[in-house]
Amino acid sequence: MSVYALNYLFRETLRDHAFRAQMKSDPAAAIAKYDLTDEERAALLSADIGKLYDMGVNAFLMGYLCRFELLGLTPDLYYDRIHTSKRAAAGK
Amino acid sequence: MAQIVGAFCVPHTPFFPWRVETEGPTCQTAQLFAEVKKHFDAARPDLVVVFDTDHLNTFFFDNLPIFAVGVADGFKGPTDEPRGGMKVYDIPSHAALATHIRRQGVDAGFDISLVQEFSVDHSVAVPLYFLTPDFRTPVIPVFISGHVPPLPKARRCFELGRAVRNAIESWPEPLRVAVIGTGSISLEVWGPKIKRGTSDGVPAPDWVTEVCGYLQNSQIDRLIAEATEERMQAAGSAGGELLNIIAMLGTIDNTVPAYLAPEMAHGHAYGAWRGN
Repeated sequence: MSVYALNYLFRETLRDHAFRAQMKSDPAAAIAKYDLTDEERAALLSADIGKLYDMGVNAFLMGYLCRFELLGLTPDLYYDRIHTSKRAAAGK
Repeated sequence: MAQIVGAFCVPHTPFFPWRVETEGPTCQTAQLFAEVKKHFDAARPDLVVVFDTDHLNTFFFDNLPIFAVGVADGFKGPTDEPRGGMKVYDIPSHAALATHIRRQGVDAGFDISLVQEFSVDHSVAVPLYFLTPDFRTPVIPVFISGHVPPLPKARRCFELGRAVRNAIESWPEPLRVAVIGTGSISLEVWGPKIKRGTSDGVPAPDWVTEVCGYLQNSQIDRLIAEATEERMQAAGSAGGELLNIIAMLGTIDNTVPAYLAPEMAHGHAYGAWRGN
């Protein structure tokens, strides 16, 4: 179920401006309350877009990380990382 | 009785209002919307029904209906901060007619979810920004799940359009109703098929040309046969928005467009059809 939590918190970066600000200033603290596995938490904090995509995260929602310039992401970095995804390599 | 006085397809790219405010009325986006608006205004609609795919704003993975009708006196939008900025509007609606559309739809075999407290994202607000810029025309949203597979079948969406048409045409008020189907034909947003350095890309320009050919030549059965989930998904994460255009086509008799313009840079089509 925790892909749900990942998707949920990505959407919260749009809806909750205080959460968005904390994702910029202290992302580990911002996501502490979410029910994520260690692997999910690590993938998120390292902005491993390819891995998150392989976990089944929705791309519209994941894009908010880039749009709001969270976790050091730029459009180029985002592009390069999503292309490390196996799901992407399979054309999905 | 209410009647359908025109049907339209337009995109809803979040930054288009900003682009037109920045680049002015001569830019391509402004010109294409202006062409559709000529037909829209000539139809003199009192009310708009919009077939729309929400981007996980009105709905989310906690509750994701395949079909839904917004039944309310009004709603707000856009609530997803479209890029470049857009005011949040109070959009009037028509709860009694929306209730009737849902009732008739369910009676016709469509299990349409009821949504009474909701807001909408850019996908409803951007078309209105261009077509009903004073935001005073009542709007009934009919939501089709076009982003998250499994997608409803194209035939089913066309038939949903038929059911919505029958509902409108059995409504006793003499309302002039415009129907909008909004979306892209080929567009990837933040997925692997984007262009490097941007948020989106057009993975299947050939599909846009093919779909526009079917639209131009009124080959609706062919369009429905070709618009499989596989092809729409291959055309990008927003490719299923074509279902909104197909549902819109289900509301009209004459599917020969009065106006149709493909816009290849964003995988879009701008179109206008006459009413019944």
